[in-house]
Amino acid sequence: MIPFDFDYYKPESMDEAFKCYQDLLINNKKPLYYGGGTEIISMARVKGIVFDSVIDLKGIPECSQLEVSGGKFRIGAAQTLTNIAECNAYPLLSKTIKRIADHTIQGKITIGGNLAGTIKYREAALPLMISDCSLQVMTQGGLAELPFSKAFNGKLQLKKGEFLVSVLIEENDLSLPYNHVKRTKQEKIDYPLITMVALKNEKAIKTAITGYGDNPIILSERIINHKLYNVEQKINKIINLAHSDCKGDLSGSREYKEFVLENMLQEMFSNFEKIG
Amino acid sequence: METQLGKDTIRKEAKDKVTGAAQYTNDLTDSPMLYARLFTSVHAHAQIISVDTREASAMPGVRAVITAKDHQVICGSMLQDRPPLARDKVRYYGEPIAIVIADDEMQAKAAAGKILVEYKPLPVVNSVKEAFKKNPVIIHDSLMLYTKSTKEVYPVKGTNICHHQKIRKGDMQKGWLESEIVVEGSFSLPQSDHAAMETRAVHCMIMPDDSVRIKTSSQSPYEVKESISKYLNIPEGKIVVQVPFVGGAFGGKACIQPEVLAVIAAMSVKGKWINLANTREEDMVTSPCHLGLEGTIRIGAKKSGQIMAAEMTFQIDTGAYSDISPKITKAIAAECAGPYRIPNIECDCYSVYTNHPYITSFRGFGHEAHTFCLERMMDKLAVETGVDPFQLRLLNLVKAGDLTPTQVKVTASNTGNAVECLERLKAIMNWEEGARIIEENGLVRAKGISCLIKTSDTPTDAGASAVLTFNTDGSVNLDCGATEIGPGMKTTAAQILAEKMRINVNDVYVKLDVNTQSTPYLWKTVASMTTYLVGRAILNAADDAISQLMNLASIALRCPTEELDFENKMIFVKHDPELYIMFKDLVKGYKFSNGNSFKGPVIGRGSYVMGNLTPLAEASGRGTPGRSWTVGAQAVEIEYDTRLHTYRLLKAATVIDAGKVINPKTARGVVMGGMCMGLGLGTSEDFVYNEDGIVEDTSFRTYKMIRYGENPEYVVDFVETPQIDAPYGARGIAEHGIIGIPAALANAISLAAHIDVNRLPITPEFIWRERLKR
Repeated sequence: MIPFDFDYYKPESMDEAFKCYQDLLINNKKPLYYGGGTEIISMARVKGIVFDSVIDLKGIPECSQLEVSGGKFRIGAAQTLTNIAECNAYPLLSKTIKRIADHTIQGKITIGGNLAGTIKYREAALPLMISDCSLQVMTQGGLAELPFSKAFNGKLQLKKGEFLVSVLIEENDLSLPYNHVKRTKQEKIDYPLITMVALKNEKAIKTAITGYGDNPIILSERIINHKLYNVEQKINKIINLAHSDCKGDLSGSREYKEFVLENMLQEMFSNFEKIG
Repeated sequence: METQLGKDTIRKEAKDKVTGAAQYTNDLTDSPMLYARLFTSVHAHAQIISVDTREASAMPGVRAVITAKDHQVICGSMLQDRPPLARDKVRYYGEPIAIVIADDEMQAKAAAGKILVEYKPLPVVNSVKEAFKKNPVIIHDSLMLYTKSTKEVYPVKGTNICHHQKIRKGDMQKGWLESEIVVEGSFSLPQSDHAAMETRAVHCMIMPDDSVRIKTSSQSPYEVKESISKYLNIPEGKIVVQVPFVGGAFGGKACIQPEVLAVIAAMSVKGKWINLANTREEDMVTSPCHLGLEGTIRIGAKKSGQIMAAEMTFQIDTGAYSDISPKITKAIAAECAGPYRIPNIECDCYSVYTNHPYITSFRGFGHEAHTFCLERMMDKLAVETGVDPFQLRLLNLVKAGDLTPTQVKVTASNTGNAVECLERLKAIMNWEEGARIIEENGLVRAKGISCLIKTSDTPTDAGASAVLTFNTDGSVNLDCGATEIGPGMKTTAAQILAEKMRINVNDVYVKLDVNTQSTPYLWKTVASMTTYLVGRAILNAADDAISQLMNLASIALRCPTEELDFENKMIFVKHDPELYIMFKDLVKGYKFSNGNSFKGPVIGRGSYVMGNLTPLAEASGRGTPGRSWTVGAQAVEIEYDTRLHTYRLLKAATVIDAGKVINPKTARGVVMGGMCMGLGLGTSEDFVYNEDGIVEDTSFRTYKMIRYGENPEYVVDFVETPQIDAPYGARGIAEHGIIGIPAALANAISLAAHIDVNRLPITPEFIWRERLKR
C-alpha cells in the first residue's frame, strides 16, 4: 500500500502534459510522469520515492503509436512490452522484452518506463543501443528527435520536465540476424546476471550487455570486429576492457560474471559464424 | 458398505476455495476496525538510546503508539527470552520496536515512518561460527536468568548457546576400532523463509468486560490462548481464538508472534478491532523464519560399507531468539542416524543465537537440514567404499530389534519398510542404466538419492479431542481442533469417521474453522501428527456415539446390543436384517409410538493423548521422542551443462511408507508439495546477509522460489505397512516430502559435476567455484 495521497492527471496531448508538469512545479508540487506504474508503485510502497502528483502519458496518441511507417518502426513510449512483443516488428526487441520480469508484469511495463526507470538493468534499451534508432522527446522547445546514443547513456538523459514520446527504429535494422542470451543467477524469471544482444549487418557485429555493472553498456565494436584477432583474443580483450564496468551483486560475483560473459561471447561468435 | 479409505475424495472446502468464497483471516470483515503497523529495526544488533514517538502520535488518525515501555511482556515457548517489542536493544534486522494504531492502514503506515529511534550499533554476530568462537559477542547477557517454560532446555552460561542436546549411544572407542574406513564432511545451510501464500494476519479486540477476541492465521489456536493468558495474565476463559482457513503455514504459523503484538495493540484501543497484517517483507524477516545449520560428521565403517560409528556436531542458527529451536535441536539429535543402524554414536547438537532473524518450526522440523548432511555422507561413503549408493543404504538400514539413537527399539509397526521404498525407487529412477549418463552437447544426466525418516517429537502429553453431533437425517457433524492449513486434513478426518461409522463420507459434515471456545482441544496442527492425534480422538468419539445409538436401538428393537450391527445410517438385527431402525430415528433420543421419549440428542465425544513418550535424558539423550517413524526414499534427476555449470531439474521421486493412504490424491499432493519445497531449498532459497547482518533479499524480487514452469516430473509412490496404533494404520506424511530432496539434489550434482556439494542452495556460481578448486 502507498502510504500517502497524490494527484492524478491524464493529459490528452504532448503540450498539455508538458504544461501540466511545469504548472505543478510552479505550485511547488513534485510531479512524476507515469507509464505502466510498476516501478513507481513498488517503490512508493517501500518509501523509496517521493512525489505528490503523477501525469499519466497513456492518453497521448503519440505515446501510444505502434506501427511501421515511413521506413521506421514507431513505438510510443507508453506502449506495453506485451503489445510490442506481440506486434513483433523487431524480433530482437520482442525476444528481449519477453524476458523482462514475468508475463503479467509485461502487460503493465511500458518501453518508456523501462528506459527511464531507476532499476539498473533497462533490458529494453539493449536492442535500441545497437540499432539505427532515435528517440522523440518532448522538450521546452517542442518535440525533438535525438539519436539514441545522445539521449541514452546507460540511462535516459532528459532534463526535468521532458518526457520520452516515442522510439523510432530504422526499418532496415529490424530483420538483421541477431543473438539474444539472458543468463540469471538460477531461475529463468529473474533480473539478469547478464543479458546480451547482438546484431550483425554486412559490415559488423554490434553487441550490448546489461547486468554487468551499473548500466547497460555497448561492448567495443572495434575489438569484436577486429580483422587480426582470433575469437579467443577478442573475448579476452573485451573482458579486460569491460573489467572496470563489472560489478558483483546479489545475482553473482564479479569473477563469475566475467566467466559467464566469456561463455556468452563464445556462443555469439559461434552463432554468427554459422550464418557466415 | 464400501470402504471410504484409499479413494480420491474431493476435499470438503474445495468449492469454497476454487471459487474464492473461502475466507482467510484478513478477509473477515470486522467492524469497527483500526489498523496497526509496525516500526522495525534497521540494525541487526544495536542499543536503543531513545525512541521518539511524539511526531508519529500527532499524525492524523493515530490512536496510539506503543513501545516496550508500555508493557512488561517477555515471550518464549521454551525459554522466555524475547520481548515482543524490542527493549533496550535490538537483536535482529526487522525486529519490531513500536506499533502504531490509526483509523486506516495508510495513516498507520505514514505515522510509523515518523518514529525516530536513536541507536548505538553493537558488533554483529553474523554467523554461527562467530557466535560459537571463544569470547564471542554475547547477544543475551541474561541468558541464565530467563524463565524456562519447560525443563528440557539447557542453556550454556557465558555463551550464545541456548540449548545443548547430547546423544551418547554405544561405545565410541569400540566403534572406531572396528572401523576400517573413516569419512568426514562439514556442511552449511542458510536460513530461509516459509513463504506461505498468506502472510500472517491477526484481528483482535478487547471487549468491555476485558475478554479478548482473536482471529488469527495460526496452526496453534489453543497455544495462542494459553500463551496470551500466561504472558498478559488474563484468565484463559476470557480469551477466544478463532482460526478460519489458513493460506499455507509450513510450521511458520505454529509459533505465537503477531498475536502478542495484536493483543498489546488492542489493549490501547479497547472496544475496537485492530488489524495487524504482515507485509511480505515483515513476514520474511520480522516474523520467524527457517533455521540455518552448520554440521560436521565423521563416520567410521567397515570396508563392506557397514557403519560402525558416527560422531556428529550440529549448530542451529537460531537467530536472535530461541522460540522452538531447542526442540528442533532435540529432534535433530534424536534422529541423527537417519534410518540407519549406527551402533555407536556421539552427537552434540546446539541451538546458537546470532543476530539473524529468529527461527521457528518449518516443514521437516530440522530433518530436512541434518538429512542433507547425513545423506551427503552416505554418498561420500559410497564413493570411498565403492559400494553402490542404493546398496550402501540397504546394507545399513535399521531392522526390527535395532536401537535408535535415543535407544528406542525398532519394530515393523513403529518404523515401516524402508527396504521396499528403496527397491521401488530404484526401479522408478531406472537405476540400471546408471546414475551418471553422458549426453550430447556437453550435457550430463545424473541421479542422486536420499533416504528419509521422521518422528513427531511432540511433547509427551500432546493431545486431541473430537465431538460428534447429529442432524435429523442421521448425518454427522464433526468438530475437532485441527486448523485447515492446506493439506485437506478435515477431509481425511471425515473419511476416518465415515469408515468407523460405516457411512458415506458425504454424510459427514466438518466444521472447517476452529473456535477455541467451542471446538474441542487439539495440541497444534503440526508435526505431521494430526491424522494420528485427531484420528484417534475421532475413533473414540465414533465408538462413543455408536455405543449410545446401539443402546437406544436395543430398546427400540427390543434386542440385546450384541445381536445388533450397523451400516449406512441404520442399525439392524444381525440374524434378521429386516428388523432395523435408522440413525435418524435415534439421534435425538428415541420416541416410543405412544409419544413417550427416552434419552436426549446423541453427542459423541472422544479424546486421545500421546502415550509412552518420555523426555530425552540430558546426559545420554535416552528417551522416546515419538510413537513411530515414517520412512521413505527419494531421488532427483538433473541435466547438467558441463560448460556453463547450469542444470535443469528433470525428475523428482518419492517412495514413502504411508502405513495406509487415506486420500490418495491429497496424499500425493502433499508429498509433491514437500518435494517442491525441498527443490526450492536446494536450488535457490536463502537469506543473504550483508556484513552488518542485514537481510538483503526480503521480497520475491530477489528471494527466489521455484516457479510453476520450473518443476520437474514428480513421481510419488506409497508403501503401506500399517502402524498398528494409528488410525487404520496411517502414518504421518505431511512434512516428509521435503526431507531428502535437498540431499538427493546435492548428490546428483556432486556426481554430475564431480564436486563435493556441502552447502545450499546449489547455484551455478557455486558449482563453478567448486570446479575451480579442483
